[in-house]
Amino acid sequence: MTELERALAALGEELEFPQSRDVWPRIADRLRRRRWVRPAVFALAAGVAALAIALAVPPAQTRPFATGLGPALTQPTLKLPASVTATKYYKRPGLAAALLRYRGAQLLFAELRGDQMGFAKKFVGPTTHAEEVRIGEWGIWFTGAPHVLMWDSGTARTRLAGNVLIWLQNGVTYRLEGQLNRDRMLVLARQITP
Amino acid sequence: MVGRPLDESDLIRRAQRGDTHAYEELVNAYQGIAFRTAYVIARNASDAEDAAQDGFVKAWRALGRFREGAPFRPWLLRIVANEASNRRRSAGRRASLALRAATQQPSGDAAPSPEAALLSSEQRAVLLAAVDELPDEQRDVVALRYFLGLSEAEVAETLGIPQGTVKSRNARALARLRESYD
Repeated sequence: MTELERALAALGEELEFPQSRDVWPRIADRLRRRRWVRPAVFALAAGVAALAIALAVPPAQTRPFATGLGPALTQPTLKLPASVTATKYYKRPGLAAALLRYRGAQLLFAELRGDQMGFAKKFVGPTTHAEEVRIGEWGIWFTGAPHVLMWDSGTARTRLAGNVLIWLQNGVTYRLEGQLNRDRMLVLARQITP
Repeated sequence: MVGRPLDESDLIRRAQRGDTHAYEELVNAYQGIAFRTAYVIARNASDAEDAAQDGFVKAWRALGRFREGAPFRPWLLRIVANEASNRRRSAGRRASLALRAATQQPSGDAAPSPEAALLSSEQRAVLLAAVDELPDEQRDVVALRYFLGLSEAEVAETLGIPQGTVKSRNARALARLRESYD
């Protein structure tokens, strides 16, 4: 260690770190609350995050996957793992998306800038299933049924074209939609955000 | 009866199974370094506390992906550092670290360490100001490496960058600081 490095280490001893309170009581409270979160509640996240995609989508189960995303682009707008093939790309303010082929299934993948998990509310019907999954900082596996989306500027009635996995990591909200089961979707999601 | 203290890997395994008591022990063990890590990045006590708290909650949710046998501290600090960086970006400010008021006499009655005794109060102030002037990416490396005493590998893991990048940022930072220190 050089003299300068020793001086820096010595300086570290002199730094004034503020006193912090014990954070455990607040953490414990947050962990306890989460245990009682019901699917319909954490839909606050899920669907809502169904976001820009679902938002602009027509109310038909026959809608093409990427309806509402604007014209397809040829230039890649997303970084994707080698296991998928992107057939089309889309870009809108705050959102980048791609149509993918993966294990024989067509998927719609989207990245949204920021934490969209609490942006709006989603009211799920009795046939909608939402389940918290371990992916990113928070993930929700969501199997579809007709539902209403509410967000900060409107509502839309839509229908999922397949199962949906939504997760949050490093300030980005990710969404995968398509006919894959939960485990396969999670495998792909972990390739996208290792 | 006095129980055998649980080692960290036991606590992690129990926490992964949902045992909040085990996680509480991990939080107690690491909340100090987590707060200081967040503080040197966010430069604000309130943001640092929030970042540490959010980091621990996110780490709890991510425990299932923690690789058994991997070092827990840098894994945790990376989550906390990320939270702190997000807050720094949002705040858009560039605050400075502060030295203790009684700079000439470190806390308590203990004599200053030989290294601390090397520096006059004026040198301390000049050096700290020079650190504050560094670009964020270099300042983070210097703060974690020297102020918090993390190893190069831990700094790399905490900041989510390769160890070679830590070395190069550190070398550039030291070159700049040397101009002020010499």
